[in-house]
Amino acid sequence: MNQPIKYVDELNEYYGSLGHPPYQWTINDSAPLYRLDRPLNECTVSLLTSGGVSRTCELPFDPDARNDHRLDEVANGTPEDDFQIHDSYYDHTDADRDINCIFPLQRLRELAEDGEIGALANRLWSGFMGRIYNRSKVLEESGPAFAEELERDGVDILIAAPS
Amino acid sequence: MGLVCRLLEERGIATTYVATGRDLASLVNPPRCLFVNHPMGNNFGAPGDRSMQMEILRTALSLIYTVGEGGTMVEYPTNWETPFRFLPAGRRAG
Repeated sequence: MNQPIKYVDELNEYYGSLGHPPYQWTINDSAPLYRLDRPLNECTVSLLTSGGVSRTCELPFDPDARNDHRLDEVANGTPEDDFQIHDSYYDHTDADRDINCIFPLQRLRELAEDGEIGALANRLWSGFMGRIYNRSKVLEESGPAFAEELERDGVDILIAAPS
Repeated sequence: MGLVCRLLEERGIATTYVATGRDLASLVNPPRCLFVNHPMGNNFGAPGDRSMQMEILRTALSLIYTVGEGGTMVEYPTNWETPFRFLPAGRRAG
């Protein structure tokens, strides 16, 4: 039985050993909640990963990125084998073999075909890789810009897969 | 990324956050979180395991309707068979 990894302690120790200043972790005591009335089989669903996933036709993500606000659109019909992963933050051996481990677009296509979800959004997303130190830019620029793109696609639900 | 989820909820888009780092997710406190105690990068399970991937996705989507308070974390019942540990800088397991 694996105990949950204490990432905060491990990362503080690891980055400290590299001579980086202590990371200022975001601590939020409360969280907003939007109550969705629409049933799942009428909802448009999109997906976001921060795992350094890009199409093979795009440039790879910088695996050691800091403050990278790059956000890629991924067309919802992209073949499962048309991805590359570049991220030094985690072991993506499994996700290299099966992208659905971190970015389950084929499973979502199946849920849409079966009518469990209303639709898969036209565009799925990859970006907001970790180690973003300038959080105000997320809150004031890249986050709101992303929200507008989701609104444009009529997205009701976003599934977020951080890594 | 949890920050993005918080911002989206305020704009009327519901989010569900599928995390492999319990303490990391607790700090940022996304609106709805499914904690899956798998290696980072295996948020939806093992390669080729369609049924596990589906089950985790369905559970994550169910939180949209079952969570009544922002900042709720639900633990997905799972038992990853092989040991895993913290692997910085892309070091590979095993």
